Amino acid sequence: MAPLILFIEDDERIRTVLRMSLQHDGFDVEEAGSGEDGLAAFERRSADVVLVDLRLPGIDGFEVTRILRKTSNVPVIVVTAHGDSHDVVAGLEAGADDYVVKPVVAKVLAARIRALLRRASFTGEIATVVRVGDLEIHREANLVTRDGEEIPLTRTEFKVLCALAEHPGWVLSRTQLLDQVWEYDYFGDDRLVDTHIGRLRAKVERDPSKPELILTVRGAGYKLAT
Amino acid sequence: MRLRRGGELRRRRRRPSLRTRTALTFGLGAALVSIALALITYTLTDHQLLSQRQTSSLHQAYVDARLFKDELNSPAANIEDVLSSLASATDVQVLVNRNNLWFSTSVLIGSSNLPTSLVSAVRSGQPADQRIYLQGVPSFAVGIPIPGVNAYYFEIYSLAELRSTLQTLAIVLAAAAFATTVGGTLLGLWASRRLVRPLSHTAQVAGEIAGGHLDERLPPDSDLGPLVDSFNDMVTRLQERIERDARFAADFSHEMRSPLTTVGASVELVDAYRDALPEDGQTALDLLKMEIDRFSDMVQDLLEISRVEAGAESVELERVSIGELVERTASGHASQVAVRIQPPAKETTVLGDKRRLQRILVNLLDNAQVHAGGSSLVWVDRRDGYVEIAVEDHGPGIDAADAERVFERFYRGKAAGRRSSVAGSGLGLALVAEHARAHHGSVRVEPAPGGGARFVVSLPAVEP
Repeated sequence: MAPLILFIEDDERIRTVLRMSLQHDGFDVEEAGSGEDGLAAFERRSADVVLVDLRLPGIDGFEVTRILRKTSNVPVIVVTAHGDSHDVVAGLEAGADDYVVKPVVAKVLAARIRALLRRASFTGEIATVVRVGDLEIHREANLVTRDGEEIPLTRTEFKVLCALAEHPGWVLSRTQLLDQVWEYDYFGDDRLVDTHIGRLRAKVERDPSKPELILTVRGAGYKLAT
Repeated sequence: MRLRRGGELRRRRRRPSLRTRTALTFGLGAALVSIALALITYTLTDHQLLSQRQTSSLHQAYVDARLFKDELNSPAANIEDVLSSLASATDVQVLVNRNNLWFSTSVLIGSSNLPTSLVSAVRSGQPADQRIYLQGVPSFAVGIPIPGVNAYYFEIYSLAELRSTLQTLAIVLAAAAFATTVGGTLLGLWASRRLVRPLSHTAQVAGEIAGGHLDERLPPDSDLGPLVDSFNDMVTRLQERIERDARFAADFSHEMRSPLTTVGASVELVDAYRDALPEDGQTALDLLKMEIDRFSDMVQDLLEISRVEAGAESVELERVSIGELVERTASGHASQVAVRIQPPAKETTVLGDKRRLQRILVNLLDNAQVHAGGSSLVWVDRRDGYVEIAVEDHGPGIDAADAERVFERFYRGKAAGRRSSVAGSGLGLALVAEHARAHHGSVRVEPAPGGGARFVVSLPAVEP
């Protein structure tokens, strides 16, 4: 069955043409013209990926992402017209996994969606269960537990954690993380890594302001404590 | 017209500075006032002293003349004895004419020393006085007729002492005038420095504003009150204008993004069905795709450049190894260029925004791609505290005349009018210059060894 994309965008022309492009690339697309409609559509039928424009009338894309995150770990890609502004960081902090900047190139968008979907089927050299501090990473079950209790992570957050867990104590540069997690071979955005590390810390660290598990190595990248 | 402007320029150059002029004006004013005061003082003193002396001399002469008359009237009076008794003071000479015979207290002085006009006036029965020169000494002569004894009495008072007093006064006054002039000039220098100080501060701030620091303002100044206000007002308006222009460009290119998405994606979709199109349709589709790509680049570059210019672009400064960045960026670029990095990566550290630095290199590589069929070599080196990134190509090169202008927006130089099928946005190099400037660096273009052009960006190096 083709993956289902929920596309929330108020510009009908963009919605129509990108829907056709995505369908041509083999996706099922459900359209929504506003944040409210989009959230309702997601409740009726949960999508595999949500594509949401940040600037929407009514509930905007940031809010849609935050509301989705409360109940779901569905991958979210935000569409922004401001590639260089705070919109990107704000969208990522709201919980988005990736972003695309207008003018959106349909091929690029399809590639980003595929990379995101692949994150579910990780095939690294890693034991089924990895212990990091008091965390247990259950790779096959796609879940992380502390004291037997599950910590809900998005697929991207989970994959960042797995990438770090693959070589505990080794430093992974932002470029390496972008390459492994987001499949950016070139021109990846460091802000993707940094915001995800921030979100991950907020979930797995006991005190996110004093990280003990995911450590920053200045000028080099990140590593997992051993 | 040009000649006149040249003349004006020369005249302006010859004109001394405001400070010199102020000092000279002060000096000249002080000189004029002090000389005038000295002259008035001298003249008044001269007049006052002389008239005092004349009055007292006249008075003395009348007293003496009466004494003389009384003495003569006494029995056994000898005129010579009387005279010698009178001429006790050294600065007074007495001459007497009696029965047409002249008698004098001094053998050196006779009737010839008296002006004839004075003598004839006294002879006609009128007392008279006159200033004369007695043997070169300024003197005051008084003549009084004494009718009872048929005599004419003359006294000559020396004014030599008065003269020397006045000379001393003149010297003192001249010295004072000179000192006042010097003092005035110095005061002028000091005052002009105080006067010019706020102005030179204004000039400095104006220079900074001209250099692009539009947030600079003059602090309120009590001396330059209205000037400061209108200056700041002008800068504010200028800033608003510049920001409005930049915002307009940014808004425009931003608004273009949605239609561009629709158009671009539509063409992509049509391209997916290109086999269904006749040959002409496919050619038209290719042209459309190419132009949309270029238009899309232009809109994005225009957005970026106007945002940088409006200062809306967020700058995230961090230590970036140019060596690593260039290696990573160049290897990802479509042109697959040779990279040579001379110094160790750590020595190529700069303080900058990684994405902007990446843009610099990508734009230079794109430029080489469009105008020179691709870059032949990219190298990184360190020179005089700067990290240099160079992009060389084997293209047609750039004329010296174009070397500055290639960094202007939409400047096409030799390519003007010859729109190649791979034309760039026309903003790429302007963006390179903007980004380099934002990093306190610079960009230049020079001939590459073996022909072609070499673009060199130099950025200040920092400790890793």
